[in-house]
Order: sequence, then C-alpha cells, then structure tokens
Amino acid sequence: MGSAPSDGAADRPLAVFKILVAGGFGAGKTTFVGAVSEVRPLRTEEALTSASVGLDDLNGVDAKTTTTVAMDFGRITIASHLMLYLFGTPGQERFWFMWDELAYGALGAVVLADTRRLGDCFPSVDYFEKRQLPFIVAINCFDGAPHYDPADVRIALDLDPHTPAVLCDARQPSSAKLILITLIEHILASRPAGTSGPWPAPATTPA
Amino acid sequence: MGADDKWAYRDSGPVVRPYALTGGRTEPTGGEILDLIAVIVASGQPAGADDPIDLSPEQRKILSLSRRPITVADAASDTALPLGVVRVLVADLVLQGRLTIRPRRPVGEQPSTDLLQEVLHGLRAL
Repeated sequence: MGSAPSDGAADRPLAVFKILVAGGFGAGKTTFVGAVSEVRPLRTEEALTSASVGLDDLNGVDAKTTTTVAMDFGRITIASHLMLYLFGTPGQERFWFMWDELAYGALGAVVLADTRRLGDCFPSVDYFEKRQLPFIVAINCFDGAPHYDPADVRIALDLDPHTPAVLCDARQPSSAKLILITLIEHILASRPAGTSGPWPAPATTPA
Repeated sequence: MGADDKWAYRDSGPVVRPYALTGGRTEPTGGEILDLIAVIVASGQPAGADDPIDLSPEQRKILSLSRRPITVADAASDTALPLGVVRVLVADLVLQGRLTIRPRRPVGEQPSTDLLQEVLHGLRAL
C-alpha cells in the first residue's frame, strides 16, 4: 500500500493499539505524550483495593477509599480506521496495581530514561522484561544533564542485546515520533523470521 | 464540575463523589474489567431510542458518543468522567443490550505484520 491514500478506510474495522510510556517521575512522560499525540484528559477514580493498602500511606486518611489519578493519555490518528493510544504509566509506587491493567494487550512500551536518575527506570525495564512486552529505552536528553553514550546506558540498565536504547528529546515532536517508529520497527524485527510465525506474511514491500 | 476538580483540602475529594453516578458500585456488573482501548459501539436501536427515560444523562452521553465505534478511554475523556465510572456505566448498557463491545484480538495474538507496516508508514508520514 505504501503511501497510497487509504481509500475505503471507512469500510475497515477500527484497529486500535496501545503503547505504554513509562519511566521514573519527571523523566518526561507527559512531555513525550504531548509532543507526539493529541492529548486527551483522562482521570480514573481508583478504589483503594487491598492491593494498594500497605503500599499507600493511609495514615490520617482512614476514611478515604478512592483516589483520583490523572492519566497521561494521547491519541494518534494514523487513518480513520487506525489509531495509536499512548498511556503514561503512573510513577508512584502506590499505583503499581494499575500497571497490569495498562499493559493488558499493549503493543509495546517506551521507557524514558533520565541520565541523572537512571535508577528510576529500573522498575519499568524489569516489568516489561518479565512481561515479555517489547520495549525500547529512550534516553531523554535534558538540558544540562550529563551526556552518555547509549551504549553505556545499555550496560547500566543491563538491557538485553536486542532491546534498542536511543537518544531523544521528548519535547520535539519529530524526535518523539522517531521513538515510536523505532519501537514499531523493533516489534516487527522481534517477530520470528520467515513466514512460519502465526502472523500473515507482509503483502506490502517493507520500507 | 470541571474536568480538573481542585481539591479544597488534600483529603476532601471532589464535591460530587464520582461513584454516586453508579449507585456506589466501583466494579462493573458481571465483573469483567473492560480494557482501556476496548471498542464499544451502540447497538442498532431504532431512532430516538437514545433517550429512554430510564437512562441517566451520563449513559445517554455515552450512547450518543458510541454511535460510531469508540474506545472506553475516549468515552471517559469525552464525558469527563473517571474511567472506573465509565466502565460501570458501559457494562450496564451492554447488559441492557444498548451497547456492544467489539471483539478484539486475543492478548497472546499479535496484530498482523501488514497492519503494523501500515502503522509504521502512517507514523513516518505524520
């Protein structure tokens, strides 16, 4: 199909994909989602389940049984039948219980790394590795932050050899877009070689 | 009530408790938690069927939005209601036969390479 106009798209069923944007607090998740997608307001009023009790510091708020969480949420319309949805993962410990729900059926994830606090993205990396969800590490180049070679960051994060680690500027739409392209390419590349996999062979010429 | 309610005090919460709209229920009837990007669409009801008196304004809004297929997250965003509330309301509408959840590919099954190539081309063209 290539760059041909997607005529007849109206006849095609809506296909939606979920991509998670993870990383430590202040790593640029909100900025990234805002740079590359149409940001949509979304909040959730989560009941404090027994899962979060113990994680959540409930001292002095004994009567509180729900908690409001504003979510980073953005939509990219590829075509009228094709939408990408970006969801930022909540950074605070007490919202860990939301991760499984967010990751359910997700296509892949972007882990934003801040080189000043690289350790903050360990939990995200661990999570996606355990879940075997394809992800890439995007090293957000903050002004004034020490500049590291992606290869060093890979070592510091002990990434699998095939997991991409690339530099980005989460404020720049073109840079953020490139991150998503890298993720989709990574997902395609991690598929079993040949046509023996469960997926149909591509009918179009790969780029 | 704006979408970004300011809390007067840290523990006070919104003025109207969100789950008042669901009769206090925080989990959808039937127990199945809808995925954020589950696609919902209004069932083919006869014209005018979107204002039956037994529906709340919020449910009517959701029905009206889902004349075209939309995701649960979009429905929550467009109604400015918390996601959990929308899930409960959607589950009720599904039970009443007013909404249908579009079947989606099983979690273990990957989207076709074709479709991903299409996403890739689309992203590059943005």
